Amino acid sequence: MSSEVVLNVAAAPETELKLTKKDVRRSYWLWQFFSHANYNYERMQGTSFAMAMAPILEKLYKSKDDLIKGLQRHLVFFNTNPNVGTLIHGAVIAMEEKRANGAEITDESINAVKTGLMGPLAGIGDTIDQGILIPLIVALGISLAKDGNILGSLIVLIGLPIVLMLISYNCWMAGYRLGTDAVTTLLSGGRMKRLIGAASILGCTVMGGLISAYVTCTTKVAFAVGQSQFDLQTQLFDAILPNLLPLAVTLGVYAVLKNGKYNSLVVMLVITVAGFVLGLLNIL
Amino acid sequence: MEWWQALLVAFLYYFSDAPFFFGEGYYVLQRPVVAGLLVGLVMGNPVQGAIIGATINLIYLGHLNVGGSMPSDMALAGYLGTAFALSANVPVEAALALAVPLGILGTVVWFGRMSLCSFFAHWADSFAAKGNVKGVMLMNWLPAQVMLFVFKMALVFTAGYFGSTLVSSFLNSIQGSGVLHGLEVVGGLLPALGIGLNLRAILKKETMPFLLVGFLLVAYFKISIIGVSLFGLVFALIYLYYTKEEKEESLDVE
Repeated sequence: MSSEVVLNVAAAPETELKLTKKDVRRSYWLWQFFSHANYNYERMQGTSFAMAMAPILEKLYKSKDDLIKGLQRHLVFFNTNPNVGTLIHGAVIAMEEKRANGAEITDESINAVKTGLMGPLAGIGDTIDQGILIPLIVALGISLAKDGNILGSLIVLIGLPIVLMLISYNCWMAGYRLGTDAVTTLLSGGRMKRLIGAASILGCTVMGGLISAYVTCTTKVAFAVGQSQFDLQTQLFDAILPNLLPLAVTLGVYAVLKNGKYNSLVVMLVITVAGFVLGLLNIL
Repeated sequence: MEWWQALLVAFLYYFSDAPFFFGEGYYVLQRPVVAGLLVGLVMGNPVQGAIIGATINLIYLGHLNVGGSMPSDMALAGYLGTAFALSANVPVEAALALAVPLGILGTVVWFGRMSLCSFFAHWADSFAAKGNVKGVMLMNWLPAQVMLFVFKMALVFTAGYFGSTLVSSFLNSIQGSGVLHGLEVVGGLLPALGIGLNLRAILKKETMPFLLVGFLLVAYFKISIIGVSLFGLVFALIYLYYTKEEKEESLDVE
């Protein structure tokens, strides 16, 4: 490395380099389409981040050396939620733009923003989309499609991408507009916590409904009590609470997963084998 | 299954993880409820396809893929599972007999892909060192997608074209036996796994009452999923309106 790399700031150009809305939008679409096109264990979404930044860097850095450094800067490990996590991309584009115009922004500070935000936004984003939005829309689709209404499949096929892209596009643009500091404050502020709290309430209500609607578990066990039959399902469980067994099974599975000793594959195999055997024995 | 149907199903399976549908493969195209309809169109029975897909999808309700780990490949279960079930013309429950093992098999494809695609990141590195912007961009998708296309097409075409007779006779042999009932029980229980995984991400002590309200609403009043969602929305709004922030400081930064 040469000595001038220490500060590692591009020389200020005479006229201000300004990205147009079209540049930022093009970068967004590159990410939207290709965020997982080369998903891999070594860098995760690293090459996708670089792909989205590439045209931006090409426009901002006129010297070949700066361009090479820029490409290498964004080829490192990166992994976040691809929808809400686009706040990071937007903010990083804003940083690169300032840097190209001579602001003292180092490689380290750009890296710090990416690695510092990608974890929290993965958590928030996965909770919002995979945890709440997607199960909600997919469950809606299933409830229709199961009765032979193909509208159920179409809701997922057409409606879900629109919802997700509205989120990713707006987060991308907000990140660019607000910049790094504002994104960081936004995340630590109370409003974010309350929004996630509200979303979790919606998600948990729906999940509760899904347990009742779609987890099925009834027992066929019956005892002879004197002259009459005592049916365990109708005379005990249903009498206490309808769908008591599905609730117990689901909370049991949740407790085992939460405990963390067994991964989901093991739990799946246990449920499959246990359910199959109990079914063959006519217990369930 | 006709050769061209096997070929189309194989292509749909590849396409469901490819970037070309707005990058929404994993979130949308891989869901069996979507796979069922698309395979149904190929096999000439979209309605039955959607029904089978929806049933398979129940296993993966609340499926979460966090940090690149894949608990089960619902796309293989959805695309190949629906295709097999439709060509064997068996009851919907029997499709579950295929979906579970296919889903587990599919994770092997996923791990292979996640490992091999690391190479292409190094190809991108060498283009970056030359300052070749186009090269860096191309390395993010071209080699990986060519590899996945060839491999997935070969895998699913072979399985679909040569395997469907075998699978049909297996599925028909379990008709009317206790095996089918056993599978039905498994299919009833497996949604608990998806929901459990999901709850691990969103359930807290404070939100437990809402889980129970949702459960009770359906258990006692049998209201639809849309209905439960609307109740959930109301609860969320009540929470927002009745919890005030201490200070509005961090909000108007701009």
